[in-house]
Amino acid sequence: MFIASRCRAISHRAPSLIFPKFGQKRDSSFQSSPYVEDLGSVNRSYEVTKDTTDWSYVQRVLPPKVVPTPVKKDVYPSGWRPQTIDIADKPYFIKRTKNHMIPCYLDIGQRGIKRTTLLKSIQGDIWQLEKEIKEFLQPQVFQILRVQVNEFVGYIRINGDHVNAIKYFLEQKGY
Amino acid sequence: MSKNTEKALNILRALPRVCLANIRDNPGSRLGPKRGRAQHGGDKHGAGNKGSGQRQNYMRLGYETGNNPFYLRFPQENYYKGHHLKRQYPPLSMLELQKLIDTNRIDVSKPIDLVSILNTGLYRLFPDQHQFGVNLTDEGADIFCAKINLEVQWASEIVIAAVEKAGGVITTAYYDPYSLQAMVNTTKFFQRGVPIPRRMIPPPDAIEYYTDPAKRGYLADPEKVSEERLVLAQKYGYNLPKIENDSEYDMLTERKDPRQIFYGLHPGWVVNLRDKIILKPKDEELLEYYAS
Repeated sequence: MFIASRCRAISHRAPSLIFPKFGQKRDSSFQSSPYVEDLGSVNRSYEVTKDTTDWSYVQRVLPPKVVPTPVKKDVYPSGWRPQTIDIADKPYFIKRTKNHMIPCYLDIGQRGIKRTTLLKSIQGDIWQLEKEIKEFLQPQVFQILRVQVNEFVGYIRINGDHVNAIKYFLEQKGY
Repeated sequence: MSKNTEKALNILRALPRVCLANIRDNPGSRLGPKRGRAQHGGDKHGAGNKGSGQRQNYMRLGYETGNNPFYLRFPQENYYKGHHLKRQYPPLSMLELQKLIDTNRIDVSKPIDLVSILNTGLYRLFPDQHQFGVNLTDEGADIFCAKINLEVQWASEIVIAAVEKAGGVITTAYYDPYSLQAMVNTTKFFQRGVPIPRRMIPPPDAIEYYTDPAKRGYLADPEKVSEERLVLAQKYGYNLPKIENDSEYDMLTERKDPRQIFYGLHPGWVVNLRDKIILKPKDEELLEYYAS
């Protein structure tokens, strides 16, 4: 097997060194097509330019290296809002993600059965935030709301899917 | 004393004294519970009695434990014939597009095409999985209000109306998979040092869509497209903004050549990112090949 593949590898470039008469050629294989250097001198004339207008079009198609910072606008039709909060006089703070979104996610576990809402990147008085979330969400659910607070890591996990409610709650407060 | 040692000692000074409340075992000194077998504590270990739970062999979707499954019971379903060969257009809603514009991920002052949508990193495309570009869906068409020059691969009538009502223009354009692969990661493509490919014409079953002025196809007659713009405005009952009088007329009327895949860059050019130079072919043979 190894020898056979070696023979083919040699044969497609030049007449076989081992079996000069029986150089195998398979037209169906890409390996049978000749290399550019075997075709002789292929000279293509090219014009080399450093034109700035042409280069501006290249820069237009290159992706930005970092996530762009949002520009301040009067209205945001999509419903997204920039963080407007002043941290100084607030008991807690929630850091936006690098994509300028609220770090609130839906976690689906137990093979699609269990749904929990995860609010991350909480700094400051996490217990105050938990109290306010409970006050906001409790009227909307029938059972007693089950909330897990991890003060050390800085997250709050709520039983059930409340992602949009939490995002609305925080956006109203300017977070 | 080294800087680090000093720092560590400073931290230690600020820390509370070691007491029973703040010490813990050495790492690895405590062994976790072992799952014993048979007489060594063997039982169900929380996995239930028999079946998928215990054996962890959760069955595949549609499997009916040995029955002839429902999805295979009928020998053919002609509706789905050749579904694995059909062109796919992964959706992007107008709400998401508006959000990309609001968060400054897309520059509105330049024409928006598949490259600028892919460059946000929030929309992914796999040309090798028969994906051929963006299907702009009408979710959020009511709130959409950005004046843009947009080029997508598939758009419904409502989407076209929403873009044109906001003062923008929309074109539907076809790209062959090889061109799409160059657009997916432009940096990587330029680094390969190969010429920018020329865009292929659409396959026979897509020609009709991309030459239709009602679909704003890129191969349609521009005269008929402007006529269709008026027809759609009257159908949905809005005043068509005049782009001729617009301050951004040049941006709104910028179009690609049917053989071109990047704005301003012609097929056949080789871009060198390191030296910031562009190589343009001069041979008659190549110029003829890459000509539109």
